[in-house]
Amino acid sequence: MIFSPDVVCAIQIHGIPEGIYVHQIAHLFFMISMGFFIHWLRHRQLVKETGWRYIQYMAFFFILWNLDVLILHLLDEQLGIIQVSLIDLTHIRIEAANGKRALEIFYYLAQLDYLFCVPALVFLNLGLSHLVAENYTQTKASNFSEKGDQ
Amino acid sequence: MTLPFLPIWFFNLFGSILMIILSFVCLGKVVELKKSDESNVIWIYLFWICCGFIAFVMSRSIGHILKWHFLYSGNESMWDIIRPYTGAVNTVMFVFVASVTLFFERIWKIHQQVVKDKQKLQSTHQELLYLSQNLEKLVAERTASLAVSESKYRRIFEVSRDMILVAEKNSLIMDMNPAGYKMLGFNDMASDLKQKRFKDFFSSKADWETIISSIMEKGFIPNHEIILKRKDGSEMLSLVSGTIDHGPSGKDAPIHFIVKDIEQKRFLENQMAQTEKLASIGQLSAGIAHAMNNPLGIILGYTQLLMRDEEVGTERYADLETIEKHVKNCRSVVEDLLSVARSSPTARASVKIHEIFDEVLNFIQHHSELYHIEIEKDYDINAPPLLLNEKKTRQVLMNLILNATHAVGKSGTIRLATKYNRDNRDVTISVSDTGYGIEKKNLSRIFDPFFTTKPTGEGTGLGLSVSYGIIKNHGGHISVDSKPGKGTIFTVILPINANGMGDSP
Repeated sequence: MIFSPDVVCAIQIHGIPEGIYVHQIAHLFFMISMGFFIHWLRHRQLVKETGWRYIQYMAFFFILWNLDVLILHLLDEQLGIIQVSLIDLTHIRIEAANGKRALEIFYYLAQLDYLFCVPALVFLNLGLSHLVAENYTQTKASNFSEKGDQ
Repeated sequence: MTLPFLPIWFFNLFGSILMIILSFVCLGKVVELKKSDESNVIWIYLFWICCGFIAFVMSRSIGHILKWHFLYSGNESMWDIIRPYTGAVNTVMFVFVASVTLFFERIWKIHQQVVKDKQKLQSTHQELLYLSQNLEKLVAERTASLAVSESKYRRIFEVSRDMILVAEKNSLIMDMNPAGYKMLGFNDMASDLKQKRFKDFFSSKADWETIISSIMEKGFIPNHEIILKRKDGSEMLSLVSGTIDHGPSGKDAPIHFIVKDIEQKRFLENQMAQTEKLASIGQLSAGIAHAMNNPLGIILGYTQLLMRDEEVGTERYADLETIEKHVKNCRSVVEDLLSVARSSPTARASVKIHEIFDEVLNFIQHHSELYHIEIEKDYDINAPPLLLNEKKTRQVLMNLILNATHAVGKSGTIRLATKYNRDNRDVTISVSDTGYGIEKKNLSRIFDPFFTTKPTGEGTGLGLSVSYGIIKNHGGHISVDSKPGKGTIFTVILPINANGMGDSP
């Protein structure tokens, strides 16, 4: 039994469903952490500065993106109520288990998740650009002040 | 439901490419920030976030590109092989970015603390830099300022007319200004007062106890009247104020005293009160005397008329003589009372004061037994003649010398002195004796009319008050100083008149 522990259930086997659960939990964790990030930025009143305000927008768009992807994974991989198949190079078939067209259209639109994550990175980029500019101004002022003191 | 695939394909492909580009641009900017300040924890934090995003974006975007590539090319089996890996990497990257994000609050606090410490360090550095560059100048300025301050307060200490004394709680003298030495009768400051106690100079120990208990209780004592003893044992009426100085350390607090000599002030106050009292008594007496003078004159006149018709030697004549004698005595008293208050100008002539002194002395020597009394004369030969009423001046000197002879008794010394004060333009006449003196309680009443220490019938108590009135009428001043058992000195100051009379040739 020492060499065959699975026989006595001494080792838990990680089957296929666990992967999607871990992935979904990771999305949830990412979403919550972004929520906290927004809370701290606002609590510290950092959003008064343009750079950090853009970074706040980034966090918001990542929350939307996580929510979108979380629902997609839920529909097709966890619940299995959506079936997707490629008909040809230009068309795709989406079939809902209960045949609801609204759900099929919602799933189709939700597939366009880059509409959330690309703006998120655009805002991160804008935020960092402002931080670079502010940092440059501050460093210059500080250097000028030090020279003045000397 | 069949839907167009192109939008999904387009967004996936170009979105993935854009994500990769944007994530690297972000990394470039964070690297720029990090290079500007390698120790800035916020930049380090953002750097790690961006690294996480790059890993996530790369994994997801490449995964998506490959996915559609394999699906289009019909190699779905290949995608099935790669899919778990990209999914797993994506999951790990989510967790990584989320975990790093959760450290933001802590990182921000650290950053704030570092910024604060840095600013403090920079401020201290600048202060040190300024001090090192200007230390010599600052020390010189501070020293000069201290010297000026020290000099200013030292001068106040040294030139003060009042005693400034610093003592310990046990009254041990720590320091005292020159005025203090002078007030206590020490001629030079070299006199060692270091081991002396302030309370030893108090005439009454109870005064010191009152002062120290008030200072200990309230921290100060304002204007407390005490009598201090000088080095020679003489006493001095003083006003003392004291404050305890807790100083910066608060322990071994010394007490600062300011002592004012109010002897002279009190003397002047008493003199003023005496003058006012005598003036009011004089006015009252003059009123009574004036009212009595006329009836006495009438009684005397009628008595003398009756005597003219009466034969000398009869009993009736003897009775009238008795009436006449007592009426004359009464008139004499009334005249004296009028002299106390009279301020009208009297007939004056140039008088040599020494001659009057000698005349009075001769007269008294003829009428009294002065054989055992030693007479000392100390005349100032420079004393000029004075413009005085000779008769009244003689009366004053007679009173003073007679009083002296009574005080001396059978043996002793009477000293007659004059002194010409050229600066004050006056002559001081003094009559002193070595008699039994006057008690302190009687000194303030000595010039009061009818006040006498002689037995009843021996004195009217008008001699000194009449003298006082005469001297005041001449614009002069009369005062007395006496110590019981040691003697008395009467001092008369007579001014030299303004029109040149009395000036030395």
